[in-house]
Amino acid sequence: MIGNLEGLFLMPEKGIDEETQGVVTLVRRWADKEVIGDRLEYRRNYPSRFDEKRKTLFLAMGLQRLAVPEEHGGFGWHTPGRMRHVLRVLTEIGRADCSTGVLLAMNCALFTVVTRFCDGRNGLTDSLASSYLEDEMKTASCILTGPGHAGRETPLFKGRSILARAAAAGESATVSGEDLRPLAAGLAADRFLIVCADSDGSPCLALVPVDAPGIARSERVKAAGLDALANADISLDAVTIPKDHLILDQDAVSYLSACLNLMLGGVSLGAGLNFFEIVSDWSDSRVIKGGTVLKENPLCASVLADTAEEIACAGFLLHDLAGIMPLTDHPGPSGMEAVYTYSAMIGAKAQQGIMRAINRGLELMGSAGYAREWHAEKHWRDVKTIQSIMCGTGAEAPVKMDIARFFYNCSEI
Amino acid sequence: MNGFDDFSRPMEYISPLDRHFRSVLRRYIEQEVMPFRRQYDEDWKDHAIIEPAFDKLMGELGLQKALFPPEHGGWGITRSDYIFRFAYMLCEELGRADTGMAVALAVTFWPLLVILVEPFVNERLIAEFAPMFCNTKKAVFAANAMTEPQGGSDIENMGLLRGRTIRTTARLEGDQWVINGHKLWPTNSGGAASLFGVPCTTRPGSDDLNDFAFIYVPAGAEGVTQGGPYEKAGMAADKNGDIFFDHVRVPAWYRAHGPGSDAEAFYQLIPFGQVASSAFLTGAMMNMYERLNEFVSSRTYRNRPLKENDAVAAIIGRIAGDIDICRILGHEAAMMGDRRNKPYGLPLTSEELVGKIRNIKDFISDRAVENFGKAMDVLGLYGPDRDWDIEKHWRDIKIIQLWMGGKQLCQMESARYFFNCETV
Repeated sequence: MIGNLEGLFLMPEKGIDEETQGVVTLVRRWADKEVIGDRLEYRRNYPSRFDEKRKTLFLAMGLQRLAVPEEHGGFGWHTPGRMRHVLRVLTEIGRADCSTGVLLAMNCALFTVVTRFCDGRNGLTDSLASSYLEDEMKTASCILTGPGHAGRETPLFKGRSILARAAAAGESATVSGEDLRPLAAGLAADRFLIVCADSDGSPCLALVPVDAPGIARSERVKAAGLDALANADISLDAVTIPKDHLILDQDAVSYLSACLNLMLGGVSLGAGLNFFEIVSDWSDSRVIKGGTVLKENPLCASVLADTAEEIACAGFLLHDLAGIMPLTDHPGPSGMEAVYTYSAMIGAKAQQGIMRAINRGLELMGSAGYAREWHAEKHWRDVKTIQSIMCGTGAEAPVKMDIARFFYNCSEI
Repeated sequence: MNGFDDFSRPMEYISPLDRHFRSVLRRYIEQEVMPFRRQYDEDWKDHAIIEPAFDKLMGELGLQKALFPPEHGGWGITRSDYIFRFAYMLCEELGRADTGMAVALAVTFWPLLVILVEPFVNERLIAEFAPMFCNTKKAVFAANAMTEPQGGSDIENMGLLRGRTIRTTARLEGDQWVINGHKLWPTNSGGAASLFGVPCTTRPGSDDLNDFAFIYVPAGAEGVTQGGPYEKAGMAADKNGDIFFDHVRVPAWYRAHGPGSDAEAFYQLIPFGQVASSAFLTGAMMNMYERLNEFVSSRTYRNRPLKENDAVAAIIGRIAGDIDICRILGHEAAMMGDRRNKPYGLPLTSEELVGKIRNIKDFISDRAVENFGKAMDVLGLYGPDRDWDIEKHWRDIKIIQLWMGGKQLCQMESARYFFNCETV
């Protein structure tokens, strides 16, 4: 049964060609052989094993180039029509290890946004792509909007504070901001894609390499999950970047958010699927009340059903979201704005559903679910971390405001 | 509201010790535990930072003596009519700082309650074990070695299984019990405990409560082997591991009371455990409120403090409302326990009392799990950040929902009482 996840968790297959299926199969083999089949060792020596396995995936298998355009030597999975395929790959990786999935998701989001919004500025795509073709692992991180500080007015993106500022001057631009919190991997990242406010206060994106003078990082932030992705706050003191590293288009911010909701949803979905495998094993082999196999007890069966139901529904929602990504090409409210809203809505729903699935399944595993040995608790911590960072701030309230704004034309919330 | 102390509790239930003792305890905890708790996770194995804090609280302040009668150097709390409420206060205050530390202390009391609470008092065993806890300034731990590999939480399901699935055996040879078996996961195992309370069977497979035995085993007895502590998602201050009993011999009088009485005295531990669990959770939630309040007052959405946004206010208002309700319910559960000696009270072994207290613990657990998750989401990017403390509580308190049979056993015990179920 466990080898038949696809037979149990039905997903729309539309548009999955042979090449895509080949990549997905390859990644699944990596997940099974390199990580899932070697869990004990992977857990004991996590930092070194993480780097080693990631290197296999990113460099030996070439997935670092997944979203690099084909004409630049990549797989070319950066277009809206390819999002369904990216989702499949990230799900397979999330099944093995969320941290690896989050890193690839941020890399993919970077290329997806840059290639789309840098028309006529091929220099940026060229230089970015060529660095990703090198035999060296690359780590991109994203800094989105966040909570502001009381008493300090900031420009806003859909109610959320934009904490970094960008100003173009001649052929360069400067970026500033204090104590910015990346989504993950702030200590390891070699470049940041940062939501900024331009000189008019409008949202834009800046791509900032970490070797630019004026960047300071805090000490490592200890976090609930994603243990391999050491995070740190970033301060930018008038950091100079080439002007073409600035994307002065609000839609780019919306698109980045939509891509991350989809991609990180895929990572969490993978973790949920592996949790399902773990809890299936458990419920097959444990007895209660002196002899009843766990899954044959009606109460336990209903808890198991909750787990499967939440994961299956999250998977369906995310695949549907991937299917509407091409709508971002449409002009008007049915285009970028709609996809942004749907991605926020589905991203939150999927993360909540997967989190609930794991929380319910842990109830059956009792203490074993809490022990690192069974790996269930790692998925629980990792998915919660992803869920919280994608909330941004204020729990579901900002997303509810996005939804209300879109569906009811609210203008003051 | 002035602060976390203003969450409701029925004032007529408050014990005479509460006000004074709570302030002393809080001062200790705020000096010795809270400034260091963010380092506890990395100290899960060695307890190099954690142990000195335990020494201060349990040894120097003397909490580990609390249950023993004054003539043995203790505080005599088990002779008062407010032991449950005292325990609630203690566990809530400690839970506010660190639920792992709270459970390690409370579980030290747990096996001792079997011989210290009327009507099940064993003076000879009290005299035997009191010096271990009362004559030292170092922390001394005890553990209830209940869970077995094959049965999970079956041992806590005495109402239905009546000890039938216990595989740890006790055989009387002359004036000694010979114990064989394997236990896992007890709080304060993994090398911490000096004394175990061990539920055993004198006739494997029997559901006759006369065959259930509760026997004390010193951790240093020949034939006792302890594994190292498990690595867990949280609760670093509470060590858990495997314990093997291989032909361990203890004096015959180390059995708590004898056939029949052992099971009854042991069953009393269920309400104690559930009330303490409720207190850990309300304490942790009160600290969550403190940290959450700081965040929503200082960080903004639409350039206004988060708490001043109606949609966010609805979320945090619900969280605070739940804490308020849970604290009232927790105190009610404690009071149910303390009414046991009153004409209108129920014995600790009654199905009604166990069902109702389990019900309250289940309710509070669910609210805590949900609200800690929600509070992390309110903090968003900062939710998983250890500096805000909420993620630590979130990791720690999940196990409270899972232990002692977890949510599902709570639901079954509740159904058994309220619907007269006979087979579930």
